[in-house]
Amino acid sequence: MPAETRVAIDRETDIVTARQKGRELAAACGFASTDQTLIALAISELARNIVVYAQRGEIIVKSEFGERRGIEIVARDQGPGILNVALALQDGYSTAKSLGLGLPGARRVMDEFEIDSAPGRGTTVTVRKWVR
Amino acid sequence: MREMGLTAQNIERRRNFVGLDSDDSKRIVRIQELVEGHLEELTSVFFAFLGGIDEARPLLGNRDIIEKVRLLKKEHLSEMVRGEYGTDYIEQRVRLAVVYSNAGLASRVFLGAYHHMLRALGVLVMKHSEHDPMAGFESYMSLKKVAFLDIGIIVDVIVFERERVIRQQQEAIRELSTPVLQIRERLLLLPIIGVIDTQRARLITDSLLRSIRANRARVVVVDVTGVATIDSKVANHLLQTVTAARLMGATAIVTGISSEVAQSLVGLGIDLVKFNTVGDLQGGIEEAERLIGYRVIQTTDNGAAEHMKEA
Amino acid sequence: MVPILKHGKFLIASIVSALTDQDLIQLRDELANKIGQVRAHGVIIDVTAVDVLDSFATRTLRDIARTVKLRGAKIVLVGIQPDVAFAMVQLGLSLDEVDTALDLEEGFSHLRRGEERSRHAG
Repeated sequence: MPAETRVAIDRETDIVTARQKGRELAAACGFASTDQTLIALAISELARNIVVYAQRGEIIVKSEFGERRGIEIVARDQGPGILNVALALQDGYSTAKSLGLGLPGARRVMDEFEIDSAPGRGTTVTVRKWVR
Repeated sequence: MREMGLTAQNIERRRNFVGLDSDDSKRIVRIQELVEGHLEELTSVFFAFLGGIDEARPLLGNRDIIEKVRLLKKEHLSEMVRGEYGTDYIEQRVRLAVVYSNAGLASRVFLGAYHHMLRALGVLVMKHSEHDPMAGFESYMSLKKVAFLDIGIIVDVIVFERERVIRQQQEAIRELSTPVLQIRERLLLLPIIGVIDTQRARLITDSLLRSIRANRARVVVVDVTGVATIDSKVANHLLQTVTAARLMGATAIVTGISSEVAQSLVGLGIDLVKFNTVGDLQGGIEEAERLIGYRVIQTTDNGAAEHMKEA
Repeated sequence: MVPILKHGKFLIASIVSALTDQDLIQLRDELANKIGQVRAHGVIIDVTAVDVLDSFATRTLRDIARTVKLRGAKIVLVGIQPDVAFAMVQLGLSLDEVDTALDLEEGFSHLRRGEERSRHAG
């Protein structure tokens, strides 16, 4: 059955909550344990971006049983937004002294990736992964 | 149903494709009584056609199946004129289609039989609409939409079932083609043969990591002698495998990179510094043994060797 | 909270719960202090129970390793699970500067081998 979980992100401990909820939903959705870990990892990276750059926001994890079985993660914040999206998607690019693998990494481990961001308007990242 | 994505949403889309709506249901219900009165006869047309051709033998040759299919077909006809084409209706179509598919009935053969049955149905309807041929024609055209909805489902199920078999076979071949062998305590050999794509690279890495834990491996020899081509993408996959093994505490040694491959990799500007490479498989295993602390001592003249572990 | 146990010349930190950033930072600071206090020769960080190592955790573990090495001790990270290792490489993470071993037992023998080697050399 399709399900949805929302986790408000405004402290770094919320990152752990978000990825645990995400893993639970991924398991219920029928993902193998390897993929559950990949999904938890992607959530971790997206949630951390919220904490580091926007301070607060939310992670919504949805399981989808439409035409295909899968999971959708939406990471949304009202933070400063990203000035140069293309640059932020490059490996190793970071404005916060991190490894700069968050966004490009999340994109790599998921099947679909969308980003909507502009300075002053916040950032919404949507990723999806399908059960193989 | 779910595997095939046959959700309520999808079923509605399918109805839209053939243009089936509530007006059609009303027109079809008008001929319901007529069709119900001729179920046996119409079903026989379907099976008479199948009886005349060789390709249907797997289905008709089995007495148990034929009884079941006849029953399902009669049920189908009666459902077809009830005017309800929701999830229940589609579920019944899928059940029947799975029986066809398991019996090896090809879609072209099914289509032939279905066509003959529809034709008989048309003749029947027109014969009983002499007073109002237009109304009879309309009912028949509406029923034809249901028929096309059915055909869409049946053909999809037959294709889906066939693909499922192919997927299972591919899975089996994949597993066979990535064996992880334990050649000594703590020492694994991963011979990679054939083409490495992203999907296969993931499987190889996954099975290697699980073997490392199961065998408590300290060194893994990855032999790529049998890999058809190594381009930057394949090299990257290999690097991921090696890195993942290292994260689990195992050292990976890559062997079997031919001089052509080495040259082309260098030409492509691919950095192999992270690869612990040894020329051939034998050298790789010797290096692995050294790392773990084995010493190979020749004990007799005929070359039989004994392995000793250093204290 | 990550408890740090002392075993002979070695310190063992077993990360038992889902890892928060604060846990890691605290671990880094405590290890740096404790190495001096007990004159530890080696440190084992056990992540057997950790279900995800993301880019932050990876970077912090690397920083911990650098700190420990600067304090004159060896360090080995043990117990990364197959799924975790797989996910890390998919994301593009590696821990090139940090020695790794399969589990606690292997971690100990790794550190002991290192001790013997330096004794022979010295």
